[in-house]
Amino acid sequence: MSSHREAPEISKDPVADSTDVYAFISPDQPSTVTLIANYIPLQGPAGGPNFYEFGDDVLYEIHVDNDGDGYADITYQFRFTTKLQTPSSFLYNTGPISSLSDSTWNSKQFYSVTRCDSGGTHPLGTRLACPPCNIGPLSTPDYEAKLGRPAVHSLPRGIKVFAGQRAEEFYVDLGSIFDLADLRPLQSANVFAHALGLPNQPGVNATNHLNVHSIALQVPISQLVSHGKPTIGVWTSASRQTVSVRGDAGQHPVGSGPWKQVSRLANPLFNEVLVPLGQKDYWNTQRPAHDKQFASYVAHPELASLLPVIYPAIPPGKAPFAHLAKLVKSGKPRADLEAILLTGIPSGIIPGFTNFTGPVQADMVRLNTSIPPTPKSSPKYSTLGLIGGDVAGFPNGRRVEDDVVTIELRAIAGATYPLVAPGYKVDAVVAALTDGLTGASVKNKPLASFPYLGVPYDGYHNPS
Amino acid sequence: MTIPGHQDRAAAAELETGPQPQPQPQPRMSRRAALRTAATTGVAVTALAATAGPALAAARPARAEGEDHGHNVAERAGTDPGEPIIAHLRDARTGEIDVFRGTSRVRLRDPALAALLVRKSR
Repeated sequence: MSSHREAPEISKDPVADSTDVYAFISPDQPSTVTLIANYIPLQGPAGGPNFYEFGDDVLYEIHVDNDGDGYADITYQFRFTTKLQTPSSFLYNTGPISSLSDSTWNSKQFYSVTRCDSGGTHPLGTRLACPPCNIGPLSTPDYEAKLGRPAVHSLPRGIKVFAGQRAEEFYVDLGSIFDLADLRPLQSANVFAHALGLPNQPGVNATNHLNVHSIALQVPISQLVSHGKPTIGVWTSASRQTVSVRGDAGQHPVGSGPWKQVSRLANPLFNEVLVPLGQKDYWNTQRPAHDKQFASYVAHPELASLLPVIYPAIPPGKAPFAHLAKLVKSGKPRADLEAILLTGIPSGIIPGFTNFTGPVQADMVRLNTSIPPTPKSSPKYSTLGLIGGDVAGFPNGRRVEDDVVTIELRAIAGATYPLVAPGYKVDAVVAALTDGLTGASVKNKPLASFPYLGVPYDGYHNPS
Repeated sequence: MTIPGHQDRAAAAELETGPQPQPQPQPRMSRRAALRTAATTGVAVTALAATAGPALAAARPARAEGEDHGHNVAERAGTDPGEPIIAHLRDARTGEIDVFRGTSRVRLRDPALAALLVRKSR
């Protein structure tokens, strides 16, 4: 869900479908920022014989705005090329793959990285190897040591890069949430679930045991920020050429014309939950600088109006979202959500914190790079980020473990409205609002070092 | 059972705040037309490339201030002389033709060429 299959058109084009964006101060390299863009959602690990690859005909980009205008000042571009070692074989691999150059690996993928900025284009690396997909113990033994870690490449100027399959670390109870906004831990209060007599239950992580394809960069902070402005805005996009002509039998399609953006992503759930169905594909073609046109969907989120009616008063109880219902009825814009998602939070609202980038409304993950990472051992560390009192977490950037579903559910339900209206009384139920999942709901845990996303699930053991 | 009290959101929003933002019209690529033109009008397209080079170069959009760097730099990249040129006849009546080459697109208005493309593609 963060942005998996979030719009009708892009759901039919998975290699260009961005799923999550992460931007955080690298906990083990705090002078750097790690930027991650995930693509190709909901990969079943046993998806052979043609295992997942990036699109050779897709332009993948990670953008950084460092002056608050919603336009990219720095863009990292990634282009992929697939090479068949043995075109006469139907197999992805003809034996165990023991290294990135192993001749037993038939379908290898390579990529280039280019930085684009006001100074022009700067190639950072070419013919960089992706790792193979994690197939199973016979084909990809000792996956991380022999294939995953060697696929972390060092580039000039202290940059690291990785592109390839990783475990899905985003956790969400998709099956429940999109079944009429059901939250299993609270479903006895859901009007539809109540009618069926369903009791409260633990959440189910629908993305567990699934993989994604990740593009990860670790870049010194000094190469991203502009002088005196520590907050950067980050998003990803995928583009295809305007025209594609299918050639004669056996020939690859010919692409031509300017790149057209078909997918973009910054804050989790923005397009998925806030933008209405009829505008989602259009939203994907737009750039953050033009997001003012979508601001009304943030100021008046549909989900906020649905919660009080899907979770109504069920006698003898009181209406759990009574205060939210009044707020929605008042028609007041949700300035809290507009700040969190579109401008950043100005100084003076949360003591000692700001990630405000200016008045331009633009959906970007805003990371104040002057705020150091919170060690996991610290009592201040919270996967609920800012609403959990941890200013190093979402929406100040986004870390891999951050529980963005719970954070955004609670924010939309009113948890953050007192930031702009101190007299507002948050409904008591909001503190318990969750789909019932935490980082513990993910089997393959995040790594402690770059690229931080966990070892991909292999197809022999998953599903099992 | 439906979601209680959930009325047509767009209609309700219009009542409260006026018309909601609508998607701006996007140029619609007719894949069929592009295929047909590319497949059947090789002579016309080749002639176009030979005679309209300076016009194509002149028509290439310059980078606008405040635009993203990535896309524009990519779009300004040089073109390979051997790469295909694809023409899309957008409107036969006005002669509006999009010509794609590499990562560039130029829009021409050439009723005579449009008429030729229509004749040759039958």
